Amino acid sequence: MRMLHPVGVVGVLSLLLLGSGQGLAQEELKIGAVGSLSGGGTDWGVATQRGVDLAVAEVKAQGGLHLGAKAYMPRVIMYDDQYTGQGGTTAAQRLVNVDGVSFIIGPIGSPAVLGVLNVTRPRNVVVLSDGFSPKILVPESTHNFRVSLTTLEFAPAIVRWLREHQPEVKRVAVISPNDAVGQQVVPILVNAYKANNFTVAFDEKYERGMNDFTPILTRILAGGVDVLELDSNAPGEAGLLLRQARQLGFKGTIIQTGGPAVEEAMKVAGPLAEDFLSYEIFDPADPRGAAFIKAYREKHEGPINAYAPIMYNATQILFEAMRRAGSVEVEPVRTSLEHLTGYDTIFGPVRWGGKSEYGIDHQLLTDFLLVRLKNGKVEMVSHLSP
Amino acid sequence: MFTVPVLSQIVLNGFVLAAIYTLVALGFTLIFGIMRIINFAHGEFAMLGGFLVFFMLQVANMPFFVALPLASFAVAGGGLVLEALVYRPFYQKELQGMIATIGLSTVIVYSAVLLFGSHQRSIPASFTAIFTIGPVILPADRLAVLTVAAIALAAFYVFITFTRIGLAMRVVAQDLEIAEAQGINARATYRAAFFVATFLAALAGGLLAQLYSLSPFMGTLPLVKSFIVVILGGLGSIPGAAAGGLVLGMFESFVSTFYGLSVAQFASLGAVIVLLVLRPEGLLGRAER
Repeated sequence: MRMLHPVGVVGVLSLLLLGSGQGLAQEELKIGAVGSLSGGGTDWGVATQRGVDLAVAEVKAQGGLHLGAKAYMPRVIMYDDQYTGQGGTTAAQRLVNVDGVSFIIGPIGSPAVLGVLNVTRPRNVVVLSDGFSPKILVPESTHNFRVSLTTLEFAPAIVRWLREHQPEVKRVAVISPNDAVGQQVVPILVNAYKANNFTVAFDEKYERGMNDFTPILTRILAGGVDVLELDSNAPGEAGLLLRQARQLGFKGTIIQTGGPAVEEAMKVAGPLAEDFLSYEIFDPADPRGAAFIKAYREKHEGPINAYAPIMYNATQILFEAMRRAGSVEVEPVRTSLEHLTGYDTIFGPVRWGGKSEYGIDHQLLTDFLLVRLKNGKVEMVSHLSP
Repeated sequence: MFTVPVLSQIVLNGFVLAAIYTLVALGFTLIFGIMRIINFAHGEFAMLGGFLVFFMLQVANMPFFVALPLASFAVAGGGLVLEALVYRPFYQKELQGMIATIGLSTVIVYSAVLLFGSHQRSIPASFTAIFTIGPVILPADRLAVLTVAAIALAAFYVFITFTRIGLAMRVVAQDLEIAEAQGINARATYRAAFFVATFLAALAGGLLAQLYSLSPFMGTLPLVKSFIVVILGGLGSIPGAAAGGLVLGMFESFVSTFYGLSVAQFASLGAVIVLLVLRPEGLLGRAER
């Protein structure tokens, strides 16, 4: 039998390898991410990082994002915004001008989001972020999308639930930080309460960083209220308010139509957090989220901050938009994102809204939850829709 | 609004604030009175005390009443190293000491940022019980703070009044030359005073951490308050620091309840300015000759 020449064998094997599935032309796809890895929003920033990394890892495990004859291997480049506007601007400048990124996931806090948008809007970079500020989604927001609900979306439904299930309560005290977020969110909440026949007896503001709320709570409780509303307070402050209110003998309803900060409330207030009601975005018991939870638990311990599934979802939506566009170019992907309605995610089918409120349908609408702390555990109270 | 529950809360809160301010201010005035150093890093020792209590509670699962004194001793012990390296060259040199402690404060704060991160964190409540006596509500954590502070202040009074080292501190504060002529070891006295001062600051930090929250920047407020208290009470006067702490704590509690914290801060600083115009030596300080 004629022996095959060794060089020939090697050559054939090389051609076979090149011609295999691995042999699709591969390119790197840079995905930018911005989040608070230090500062007041660290929990949220770390959750963002984890969520984005999980979504990217799934795509990598499939051999990359396959678009036609090309496979794009995603790589996350993340910078810290320090939960500040300047931090967001700096992070976006590095991503756009140095790293050449065209798609950014995050950030979360409004100052940081506005800082990012200062850089990305003139450059038509696609941004999928959070942020409650009304300046984030405007008719000119052609390239940015909001992937988490804001007070405008969830407050009316929550306050309506409160009216239906606690008809005896009448007087509400709203306590919020005296900053851009607090000033923007509170009027929305106050209107929601008034529309449901509550009396907003107190609308109190405090300076961020304050942590002795006893004087302000003493004054409020002396005025006689049935509901203490913690709205946009950061997790640590919400926990302290909850604890100090109960220590002053307040027995009424304490609710946070914002956050979510349920885990921190439990940690800070301990048994005093019993019956605390809060908005929550992610239901760990929902079967749609099972695969995400399994993947998360393989890498991380501890409670799952809601922004992990939110930003995982945002990244998945982005990849799906790229698949449907058959491209990683900005304009086709942007258009594809806008037409992604119906695509099934861990939060249900994609539904964009916001035209009447913001002038553009770039607000992701998802169902959400009202939860209660009971015996040290989070208990689901109701599924609600915006 | 002027009901028994409201007024009792104001008084209780006032005593809690007074206790914490006095603990910090006593240490501050001790260092100035004996070593003539205006210690701008004093608040940072409170911060370190708070963080050490946090880690002892969270990581070592110690009870609060064990963690608090241990953390305070540890900070005071570590403070002696700083005393040798940073403070000792500047004793009796007010201006140079002030500059050195400003620098030390920055180093401690940003070392803490690197080690612990810059974000606020909260200690889970060690005391969640609530006691009531008629219409008066007494949260257990505030009672615990008052008890610890009362014991510490009583122990400090006994120490400074009835012990040889306490007597030595008072003599050195009055006249260093005469003290040394009488055979008092000034260096040993300085070290003892520094240890006690930083112990008190760390104790206050641990109490603050239990009531409120922690961050590397939390030392600024206790330092500012201790300035106000010692100026109010008289720089270098120990009874003055106690009186100043009580006045400031009660005043802030009352004003912040009815008018908000911003008004309370403004009013307390304004009142201090008026007092200094009328009585520059403070409530119980000695007039300068």
